[in-house]
Amino acid sequence: MSTSTRSASLLWLAVTGAAAAALMGMSGLSCAQGFPAIGPLPAKKAPNPGQVEMGRRLFFDPRISGDGAISCASCHDPKQGFTRQVDNKGKPQALSDAYPGTSHFRNSPTLINTTYKAGFANAGWGWAGHMGADLNDVVRDMLTETLVMNMDMRLMHERMKQDPVYVKMCQESFKGECSSGKARSALVAFMDTLVSRDAPFDTGKMSDEAKRGRGLFEGKAGCIACHNGPYFSDAEPHNTGVPENMEVFKDPVRHLTYRAAMSNHGVPRTEIWRRDVGYFLASKNYADVGKFITPTLRELKYTAPYMHNGVFSTLAEVVDFYDRGGGRDDPLAAELKPLGLSAEEKKDLIAFLESLSSTAPVTVQPVADIPKEYAPIKNFLGAHN
Amino acid sequence: MRPSNVALYLPVLLMCGFLAAGAANVLAAGDPPRLAPLPPVPEPSDNKTTKAKAELGRLLFFDPKITGDASLSCGDCHVPRQGWGLADPISRGYPGTVHWRNSQTVVNTAYLAKLFWQGDAGSLEAQAEAANTGAVAGNGSNDVMEARLRQTPEYIKRFREAFGTERPLINDAWYAIAAFERAELIQKDNPLDRYLTGDKNALSAKAVKGKQLFEGKANCIQCHNGPMLTDEKYYNLGVPRPKEFEETGLNQVTYRWEIYQKGLHEQRYRQWKDDPGLYHTTAWVRDAGKHRTAPLRYIKYTAPYMHAGQFFTLEEVIDFYDKGGGENEFTKRYGNKTRILKPLNLTKDEKEALIAFLEELSGEEIKMAVPKVPSYAVKPDVPGLTQAQAKRIGLERHLPAIGKK
Repeated sequence: MSTSTRSASLLWLAVTGAAAAALMGMSGLSCAQGFPAIGPLPAKKAPNPGQVEMGRRLFFDPRISGDGAISCASCHDPKQGFTRQVDNKGKPQALSDAYPGTSHFRNSPTLINTTYKAGFANAGWGWAGHMGADLNDVVRDMLTETLVMNMDMRLMHERMKQDPVYVKMCQESFKGECSSGKARSALVAFMDTLVSRDAPFDTGKMSDEAKRGRGLFEGKAGCIACHNGPYFSDAEPHNTGVPENMEVFKDPVRHLTYRAAMSNHGVPRTEIWRRDVGYFLASKNYADVGKFITPTLRELKYTAPYMHNGVFSTLAEVVDFYDRGGGRDDPLAAELKPLGLSAEEKKDLIAFLESLSSTAPVTVQPVADIPKEYAPIKNFLGAHN
Repeated sequence: MRPSNVALYLPVLLMCGFLAAGAANVLAAGDPPRLAPLPPVPEPSDNKTTKAKAELGRLLFFDPKITGDASLSCGDCHVPRQGWGLADPISRGYPGTVHWRNSQTVVNTAYLAKLFWQGDAGSLEAQAEAANTGAVAGNGSNDVMEARLRQTPEYIKRFREAFGTERPLINDAWYAIAAFERAELIQKDNPLDRYLTGDKNALSAKAVKGKQLFEGKANCIQCHNGPMLTDEKYYNLGVPRPKEFEETGLNQVTYRWEIYQKGLHEQRYRQWKDDPGLYHTTAWVRDAGKHRTAPLRYIKYTAPYMHAGQFFTLEEVIDFYDKGGGENEFTKRYGNKTRILKPLNLTKDEKEALIAFLEELSGEEIKMAVPKVPSYAVKPDVPGLTQAQAKRIGLERHLPAIGKK
């Protein structure tokens, strides 16, 4: 792109950008490349604090899983960037845990900024974009999916009704008795608060390396082609040829978990696959095998390892991977090319990527007073159920 | 219809009417069916018992793979050494839950047409599936349970032998478990069976006296009749509400969940505090608190008794009937206590004779060692996959890598 066209574009942006951004929300159009501009996330309406507090309690409460063994925080640990990076013994963990008796076959994605995925028009949540039309839907899926929380939501609301703290919270924040709908809304309100704070990119306090990295990001390295908009994702499926994580197929429990998820979504011949079918799960189009929805790049500093199966543990590995033109997989050819980045350029690019992370980790304090037992309701016979 | 035709059909219609009325009279006036020895085990036409199925079913019965978190099996609530039921009044549930009814024995259930206290499963196959998938029981989902079976080479082989399928199907697991129950958990030729087929020494004199009371003064035979000692009908006896509902938080959670998920008018959901039983099937309040007559075979081994284990001993049960039953929330609210129950005025000796009869008809205990269940296996490669197939599904490049274990 020549300097003159870029200036013209910037001028055009100055005139129309504000209006366009206001109209189009997250997808304000960028310069002549035609990709939605990267920029700060639009502010969201602050959720009701009482609902957030109820959501936080639910988030840490194992009683909202079928056998009471795991909570949301088990796989989206606030101390680990709301992902799962190390297991209970401190060993690095590329693949997520799952409901007891199963083991997941993908990396646990961060929940930070997940609320902004609601702006996606073409894809839902999950690495295969197959989940939910909105965050409330996804919460329902996570609670009820056999591989995740395996919770009957009717049982969940009866458990909540047995806990005086939830009874009070539901009354105060939702003006009614506990229900699965209120629980889901509270969890959504809680996740509305999990957003980037003071990322150097957003505050404009970027280092010189990071600024140069931005130039590469939008220019030579071409990251902007997929990682665009304030959320740094085009919400589209792509095949970058990320290597399979063969741990999925070397561990019988992960393998059977994978097969259960595949058959649950109507993928044929689950006994044959030895690769993650990716977006095929949603589209059932063989051309989409191995495609995954572009993830956000925000909070990368706190959310290693990377890719849908956690095969890369550092940003340097990720940048090297793209510098080589990605991995080898059939439909790849048209999308990625070797970049020829110098060592200096790679460092700059990583500095830029790190500037997309909050200055301090986004986290919350766990809720300490969650009881393990259910106290009986006094005057059960006289009380209304 | 023209008049001539009416004239033609009228006598036939009248005759039908008389016949129907006659049949009803016979039934109304007749005695309840008599006690009878157990016939051969009935088998449904779509699930004939075979050795391969029964042996597979025995493994599955004790295998936790076919529950939600793979931590408990059928055998955890139907424990061989606890009468193939559970000695707790109210059964344990899935981890994190408790059940709301007593776990019944599996022995001889092959002869029942109605399974569960509510009688809402019509076959052993249906019962097994319902138990393994219910949220406070097995809490399994079909896709995961099936994937677990398919990750287990021993099961792939055994399902193929038993059902001729290439890979295990979860539905066949329920069929195999049912076949196991029909093949192994049958107690025929016990003292009652032998007595009824002519061996007058099979029961002690005391038990014979008990049998006469059972069929006479105590009138147990009114409902506990036929070869299984049950009419498989539903009654509210006025068995009291289990104390756990009032005293224990976890039981209160399950109680509300049960009546909520089974579907209840909101007003009743708010007010009721006891197990509505058959009401959940019919939605008639006159059926509230009714449960299916329990079979009495094997009873010596299956304490505690009643739908929520309200009575720990047979003495307590007999005392309850001797008083003419009891009252509960639904008998008080809807006046639906069965009229069959009247105070019996049994003497101490008579009560003992009844218990002797019940204990002797329980026969020998069915003992069984818990088998070792087969393990998962790593299956990184795809045996038999051609290069062409591998290429079509994009697997070609991975074949060498996945061969390395």
